[in-house]
Amino acid sequence: MSNIIEIKNVTKEFKVLNRREGLKGSLKDLFSRDYKTIRAVDNISMTIAQGEIVGYLGPNGAGKSTTIKMMTGVLEPTFGQITVNGNLPYKDRTRNAQEIGVVFGQRSQLWWSLPLIESFKLLKDIYQIPDEGYSSMIKLYKSLVDIEPLLHKPVRQMSLGQRTLSDILAAFLHNPKIVFLDEPTIGLDVSMKNKIRTLIHALNKEKNTTVILTTHDMGDVDALCQRIVIIDKGKMLYDNDIEHLKGFFGSYRTLKIRPDGDIKDHSDAMKNELAGRSVSVTSDDEWISILVNEDKTKVMDVLNVIQKSREIRDMKLEEISTEEVIRKIYEEGVK
Amino acid sequence: MKLKKYFALTRAGILESFQFRLAMLVMVAGNLLYLTVVYFLWKAIYASSGTDVVNGMTFSDTLIYLVLATALFNFMEMYAVWEIGRSIQSGKIVLDLLKPMPFRSYLFWSYSGTFVTQFFATFLPTFIIVCVVTGGAVPLGINLLYFVISVVMAVIINYSIDFMTGTICIYTESIWGINIMKQVIVLLLSGATIPIAFFPEPLKKAVSYMPFQSIYNTPLSILLNGSPKAETVLSALGVQAFWCIVLLIISNLFWKFSLRKITVNGG
Amino acid sequence: MKRKGLGFYLRIYCKILAQDLKSKMSYRADFIISTIGMIFTNIAGFVSFWILFRSFPEINGWSYYEMLFLYGFSLVSLTPVQCFFDNNWSLRMYVYSGDFIKYCFRPINLFFYYQSEVFDIKGLGQFAFGIGTLIYSWNKIGLGFTPLILLKMIVFLITASLIMIAVMNAAAATCFWITNSFYVMDLALKFKDYARYPITIFSPVFRFIFTFVMPVAFIAYYPSLVILRPDDVPILSWLSPLFGCLFFYLSYKFWMFGAMRYSGTGS
Repeated sequence: MSNIIEIKNVTKEFKVLNRREGLKGSLKDLFSRDYKTIRAVDNISMTIAQGEIVGYLGPNGAGKSTTIKMMTGVLEPTFGQITVNGNLPYKDRTRNAQEIGVVFGQRSQLWWSLPLIESFKLLKDIYQIPDEGYSSMIKLYKSLVDIEPLLHKPVRQMSLGQRTLSDILAAFLHNPKIVFLDEPTIGLDVSMKNKIRTLIHALNKEKNTTVILTTHDMGDVDALCQRIVIIDKGKMLYDNDIEHLKGFFGSYRTLKIRPDGDIKDHSDAMKNELAGRSVSVTSDDEWISILVNEDKTKVMDVLNVIQKSREIRDMKLEEISTEEVIRKIYEEGVK
Repeated sequence: MKLKKYFALTRAGILESFQFRLAMLVMVAGNLLYLTVVYFLWKAIYASSGTDVVNGMTFSDTLIYLVLATALFNFMEMYAVWEIGRSIQSGKIVLDLLKPMPFRSYLFWSYSGTFVTQFFATFLPTFIIVCVVTGGAVPLGINLLYFVISVVMAVIINYSIDFMTGTICIYTESIWGINIMKQVIVLLLSGATIPIAFFPEPLKKAVSYMPFQSIYNTPLSILLNGSPKAETVLSALGVQAFWCIVLLIISNLFWKFSLRKITVNGG
Repeated sequence: MKRKGLGFYLRIYCKILAQDLKSKMSYRADFIISTIGMIFTNIAGFVSFWILFRSFPEINGWSYYEMLFLYGFSLVSLTPVQCFFDNNWSLRMYVYSGDFIKYCFRPINLFFYYQSEVFDIKGLGQFAFGIGTLIYSWNKIGLGFTPLILLKMIVFLITASLIMIAVMNAAAATCFWITNSFYVMDLALKFKDYARYPITIFSPVFRFIFTFVMPVAFIAYYPSLVILRPDDVPILSWLSPLFGCLFFYLSYKFWMFGAMRYSGTGS
């Protein structure tokens, strides 16, 4: 497999204005401004092979969008070098654009007032897609999703889910080598999320398109990505297979408990009772989740401790989810 | 205190407008440019007329009138039609209606911050400069008091017209078209671009039956008249007060009536 | 990849235009109201013009009909900016909300792609009005008609259009640097109002400014001298087509520079 994207020691810095607070502050801002430099992306390197689906993860403001903008040629790195498909994207944005597709969150790139099919026809002209390529792509689309009802509907009248679907189809239309999807399933209902995941998966398989996906939804990651890259505060925290990730912190399992009485109170109490053991306690409306590092503490021991002082109504034991691993990485970093 | 929540909006408006320091600079520059053009244009007109007084106004009268009309315009223009129209089209209106005050007041007080900054940033400096430059051509006496009263009523009339026009956007998608129609009518017939004294007789008569001249022509005429007869001022203010009340009532009724359309159709 | 020449862009533009018109037709009420608004604007402009100049046979050596010619000339030359570059008005909104980024991912010229998105059909009403005014004043002045004069007319109308487009492009592009560039656009739009007066009414300093700093005089005055005063055409008039192209090119570069810089700061 050849590398389609190579990122070498890339750093991106921004200058931002320090705004002062309050009425007095904005009066001062009128006369003097003070800027500070922020490193949105800090010395990141990675290579991505043709046909991979890479999940690009990180909390809000981690630098995901900045990296994607650099790969699409919208931003130029402050230091370092990015090659996409052998080109420097920021040096020749238009040429790079021919080979990539982009879906940016909820911002539709389609013509707002045009029916989808007309948008497709315009894209065919803009990307100079040959007739055969275009019709085979449309045929493929028709076999994958039910687009017939969408084709003649103006984009402005579509639901968010339909719009996202249309945007993804439009991004793949010119059979690009790489497609960037920035939070493609944000704000969608469960069945639409599923539909979109299946579609992305199928298109990736069918056309061997490299897909780079940022998301906060671990469902997307589990359904699509073999490999994930995690960054936070501009620094790369993790870059490896998703299976590898789960064993990354040793063997973790989650013990879920439903006690009698107020969950919040119990959860606080448990935190005290279990202090000193390698566990972390969180709670939601239904369950108290105790993440146990089995290399250091036995699940049975934990159970013993907590049932001493309370009645347990219900419990279950779960393998650690991607979501929890990632939360641990965000919280604690990689040791 | 009840007023406090309104003043909170005023303060937020002031803060916001400071953020746009460049916009303010540009606005001042734009006004200067406009006034320059106005100055030379009218100078040429007076030069070619051969007399010092045209339609009862001297060159400096006309100039002061137009300069202050521009300042008043900048002070009063709130782009309320746009605001209402967008709010209706985006559906944001539903949120605005949930605010703990009537929409009409909410919108007005949100703008009041801009009123304050605009007053100090454009109107007051312009007024002072005009007074100094013309060396006493603007009479400073009891007419100032009348002027302030008149401007307050002008603001209310202008806002009512804006609000009414904005309400029309409930019925049509065309904010641009509605707004531009309102704007050209108001600017022309209120005497903001050309003093009403210059209008031909029939037009002058027609305009006198309309509310528009109360916005610019009335306050400015009152200001420029140093020794006003009580009955002239009173009748001018009376006409303004009449339009104030009529337009307040009409715009409120129209809004309430139209609002039913939103609440029935769900926006 | 095939080279993307003028033909490519022209073909794409026509297709987008055709689609856009189709969808506009489906919003008929908006279309009609906007058109009426546009007609209103033109009538109001004409009425102001008439009120101002009806009582003076000439101003600064310019007869009423010559002034009218200038007015018509400026209307026609403003049509292209209105029709084809109207999306400039939305630019600051796209930049502010971060939606501008969506234009950056296509393998075609960013400026073209952005502007092609909107075609504003309302401008055509202004075009008709302007042509009417031109023909009327043309007749009254008794300019005569030869193919040469028509050719001159077309060349210089295009020149004037290019300048106005350049002004609006540059004004719109300021939003890449300042938050509330609406005022800049508004100021730039006022250029068209200043453009209709002969530059000779200004003092030498402002003549210089309106020629070289803010090229207002190129929107109607210099180009129309070629038609109105064929015996006494200043060199600047003959140079204006050159200036038109130059200004347009510079404004395009400025716009693109801003767009690149903007995306460089992220959203």
